Amino acid sequence: MTQQVLAKQVQEVFARFSDGVVEDQRVGYQGYIVAPEHLLDFARALRDECGYDYLTTVTGVDYLADGKMEVVYHAFKTLGGPALEFKVQTNRQNPIVPSLALIYPSAELQEREIWDLFGIRFEGHPDLRRILLWEGFYGHPLRKDWKEPYFEEVAKPFKSRFPDGKVYRAEDKHPLKDNIDFPEGFDPAKWEAEGDAALYKALTNIPGADEPGIKTEQIILNFGPQHPSTHGVFRMAVLLDGETIVNLKHVLGYLHRNHEKIGERNTYIQNMPFTDRLDYITSMSNNFGYAVAVEKLMGIQPPERAEYLRVMMAEFTRVISHLMSIGFLLNDLGAFFTPMMYALEEREMILDVFEAVSGSRMMCNYFRFGGVAHDVPDYIFDKIKGLVFERLPRRVDEIDAYLTKNEIIRARCEGVGVLTPEQAIALGVSGPLLRGSGVPYDIRRAEPYSIYDRLDFDVVFTEHGDVYDRYLVRLEEIRQSIRILQQVVKQMPEGPIQIGKSTYQVKVPPGEAYGRVEAPKGELGFYLVSDGKPNPYRYHVRSPSFVNLGALAPMSIGSKVADAVVNLGSIDIVLGEVDR
Amino acid sequence: MNATLVIEWVVKSLVIILVLTGGFAYTTLYERKVLARMQVRRGPNRAGPLGILQPVADGIKLIFKEELTPHNADKFIFTVAPVITVVPALVITAVVPWGREISLFGRTFTLYLSNVNVAVLYILSVTSISVYGITLAGWSSNNKYATLGGVRATAQMISYELALGCAYIGPILIVGSMSLVDIVEAQAGVWFIFLQPVAFLVYFLASLAEVNRAPFDMPEAEQELTAGYHTEYSGMKFALFFMAEYIKMIAVAMIGVSLFLGGYLGPGIDRFPILGPVYLFIKVAVWLFVIIWVRATLPRIRYDRLMALGWKVMFPLALLSVMITALVLLFVES
Repeated sequence: MTQQVLAKQVQEVFARFSDGVVEDQRVGYQGYIVAPEHLLDFARALRDECGYDYLTTVTGVDYLADGKMEVVYHAFKTLGGPALEFKVQTNRQNPIVPSLALIYPSAELQEREIWDLFGIRFEGHPDLRRILLWEGFYGHPLRKDWKEPYFEEVAKPFKSRFPDGKVYRAEDKHPLKDNIDFPEGFDPAKWEAEGDAALYKALTNIPGADEPGIKTEQIILNFGPQHPSTHGVFRMAVLLDGETIVNLKHVLGYLHRNHEKIGERNTYIQNMPFTDRLDYITSMSNNFGYAVAVEKLMGIQPPERAEYLRVMMAEFTRVISHLMSIGFLLNDLGAFFTPMMYALEEREMILDVFEAVSGSRMMCNYFRFGGVAHDVPDYIFDKIKGLVFERLPRRVDEIDAYLTKNEIIRARCEGVGVLTPEQAIALGVSGPLLRGSGVPYDIRRAEPYSIYDRLDFDVVFTEHGDVYDRYLVRLEEIRQSIRILQQVVKQMPEGPIQIGKSTYQVKVPPGEAYGRVEAPKGELGFYLVSDGKPNPYRYHVRSPSFVNLGALAPMSIGSKVADAVVNLGSIDIVLGEVDR
Repeated sequence: MNATLVIEWVVKSLVIILVLTGGFAYTTLYERKVLARMQVRRGPNRAGPLGILQPVADGIKLIFKEELTPHNADKFIFTVAPVITVVPALVITAVVPWGREISLFGRTFTLYLSNVNVAVLYILSVTSISVYGITLAGWSSNNKYATLGGVRATAQMISYELALGCAYIGPILIVGSMSLVDIVEAQAGVWFIFLQPVAFLVYFLASLAEVNRAPFDMPEAEQELTAGYHTEYSGMKFALFFMAEYIKMIAVAMIGVSLFLGGYLGPGIDRFPILGPVYLFIKVAVWLFVIIWVRATLPRIRYDRLMALGWKVMFPLALLSVMITALVLLFVES
C-alpha cells in the first residue's frame, strides 16, 4: 500500500520536472537524466516527497567520445527496494555540477572524490578539496585522456610486454626522458609540496569561533598516518582544546593506487583477484559484490550449489570481519591485544576453510562469473560442520561472556560516538554503523540478492547509536551469520558449481549496472559501464569504509581524544578499501 | 664510624641495585611469558633455553641502538629526564626489609639497608620525584603527544598520591610506627590485608596508577598518544624509562607486600631467618602476576574518568578507611 502511494508521488514529481528529467534512452542503461539546473529541486523533491532518503553512491563517468561527463547518483529508500538512478551530464571543458552535499550529506565525500579524480567542480560544496590525491597533483586521472607515466596501452594485456614472446618491462625505460608528461614550466627539481595549508584552514574554520567569551589556546594534533591506532595509513587532523576535540578532518589517500583506473585497464576476469585487495580481510565478500555486478550486466545466474557456496563463504567472511572488528575495538580501548588474539584464533580456523577451497588464505579469488572456482573438498565439509555447529557458537558465547558486561567497556562505550538515525541515513553510512543507529536496513533483506530471500535470519539493530550498540550489533550479527551457515550447510544441494565452461574472457554486453551486496562493513557496490570490449569502460567501487568515514567527524566533535580513537575503531575501516 | 659497617652498607646497596636491575630484566621476560600464555601465544623462546636470555638480548640491543634527539628538543633536560625518573625508582626499596637478622662469617647481618623511623614518609617523598622526570621528558621532547602524555602523568600521579598516602596511614595507625620493619613484625599474628581490606584495595589500585600500569597507563596510552612522554626517546634513554617503570613496579609490590601481606614473614621464619627473602620473593612474584594479569585483561579507563575515580571514589574511600581505623583504635584503647 505504502509502495503504491510513494510510486504515485514519484510520478507526480516526474510530471512536475517533465522538461528537465528524461529517461535514459541508451541501450542497456536505466534511470533518468536530470538537467543540472533542476538537480537541486529534483533531489529535494525525491528526498522529501518520494522517500528516497538514502543516497549511497555518487560517481562519475567520462564519455570521451561524446565529449561529456556524467555524474551518476543511486538513491534508495530506507524502507527497502531497488535504486532510483539519476544522472547529470556536463561538458568536458568546464565541467560544473551543483553539489548535493547540503541535501544529501553522504554526497560530500564522494563529490570530493569525483572532483579529485574527474575534475568535475561541484558548486556549493562546503569543502571541495582533493581527497585521495594531494593538492597540486597534475590532472584528474580517471579522465579517459589522462595518461600516467609509463603509459603503454589503454587495456591489458599489453602487447609491448611480450615482444616476440620475451618479457619487457616498461619501468626499464628512462623515467625522465620521453614517457613522463610534465606540465609546462614545471621543473621536478624545484617542486615543493603544497603542504597542509588548505587542510588547516578548513580545520580551523569553525562557525561561531568569533563569538565573545573566554578564549583558550587550541592546538592542531595530527593522528597518523603513522600511528598505532589508525588501522593503517589513515590520518586525522584534530583541533584540540585541552583534550576535547573542536574539529576533525580526515586525510586519506596514503594507500591510493587508483584501483579504478587499473580496473578499467584490466579485463573483467582480471579484476576478480584485484577486488581481493580492496578490503583484504573480507576478500570473499568483495568477490561477491563484483560477481553480482558483472552478472547483472551479463544477465546470467549461477547454479544452485554455487549460490550456496557463495553465501557460505560470504557469511564466513562476515564472521571473520566482525570478530576482528570487535578485537581491534578492544585494542583501541586499550585492552592489551588479548581479545584480538582470541578473535584471531577463530579467524585462523575459518581461513583454513578458505585455503582449502581457493588455495589462498586472504586473497581468495574464489568467485567466477556464473559460479565459483572450486568445489569444497569432503574433508573440509566435515571441518565446516564442526565449526558452525560447535566451535563458533561456543566461542562467540565466550567472547560475549568476557566482554559484554565488562564495566570499563561499558563506561567507555556507552553514550560515546552517538549517531542518530537521521544523521546515519543522511550521511549514507551502512552496515553495522547504520543498524547500530536504529535503522534496520540490511541489503540482504532490503534488496535481496543470491539466495538470501530463502534463508532465515534476523536483521539486527539497536537503538542508541553509540559505540557499545555497534559492538552489540556486530556480536549479534556473528550469531545470525552462524545461523545462516547452519542452514546453508544443511540444505547444500548437489550439482554443478559453474554455468558453462570457465573461460578467461567473458563477453559482456554494452550497458551499465550497479551491483551491491551487504559486505561485513556495509554496502559494497560496484558500478560498471561496459562498451562491449573485454575490459570495463568504467569500474567504480563504492566502498563502505570510505563513506562510513564521513560519520567520524560528527561523532567525535565535542568528545575527548580517546573517544575519537574508539569511534574510529567502531566504524571499522580497512585502508585498502578506503584509499583504493 | 666502623669501617666494616661502611663496607656492609656498600655491599648491601650494591646487592639491592643489582637485584633490582636484574629483577627488572626478568620482570620483562616474566611479563611477556605470562601475557603470551594468556593470549594463546608462546612468548619469547628463542634466546637461550625457554627464552631466559631474552632480557640480555634486549639489553644489548638497546645499548647499541642509535639515540636520536629531536632537533628542537631542550637537549639538557631531554638527557637528564630519564635519570631523574630512574634514580628514585632505584632508591625507594632501601627501606624495605628483606628478612630478619642472619649470621654469616661470624657476623650478624640485618637483611635491610636501613631501618629508618620515617620509612613510609621516605617512600612517599621519593616516589613523587620521578613525576618530575616524566613531566620534563614530555615537555622537553617538543612533541605534542609527549607533552600531552607528560601533562597527563603529572595530573594522574598527583591525584593518586593522595589516595596512596591515605592507604599507608591504616597500618601506621595500627602499629604506631612508620618503620617498615616494625610494620612487618607487627603482622606476625595476622596480615594487615585482613584488618585493612579497603586500604589494601586503594593501595593496589593507586599503585597501578602511580607506576602507569594498565588499566591506568594513561600517560603512555598507545592508542591515543603513540607512546606518551617517551615518544621521542630511543636507545638507552628509552631503556631507562622502561627500567624505571618496571623497577617501580617491583618496588610498589615490595612495599605493598610489606604493608599488607606480612612482608618476609612466613612459616618457619623463626627457625630459618634465611627464608625471609624467599617469602618476599614469592609474594612479590604473585603481586606482579596480578599486575600483569590485569594488563592482559582490562581495557584502559578514559582519562577524565580516571581523574574522577581518583578524586571522587578512591580518595574519600581511603579517608573513610583512615577515620574508621582511628575510631576503632581509640575505642579499643579506651
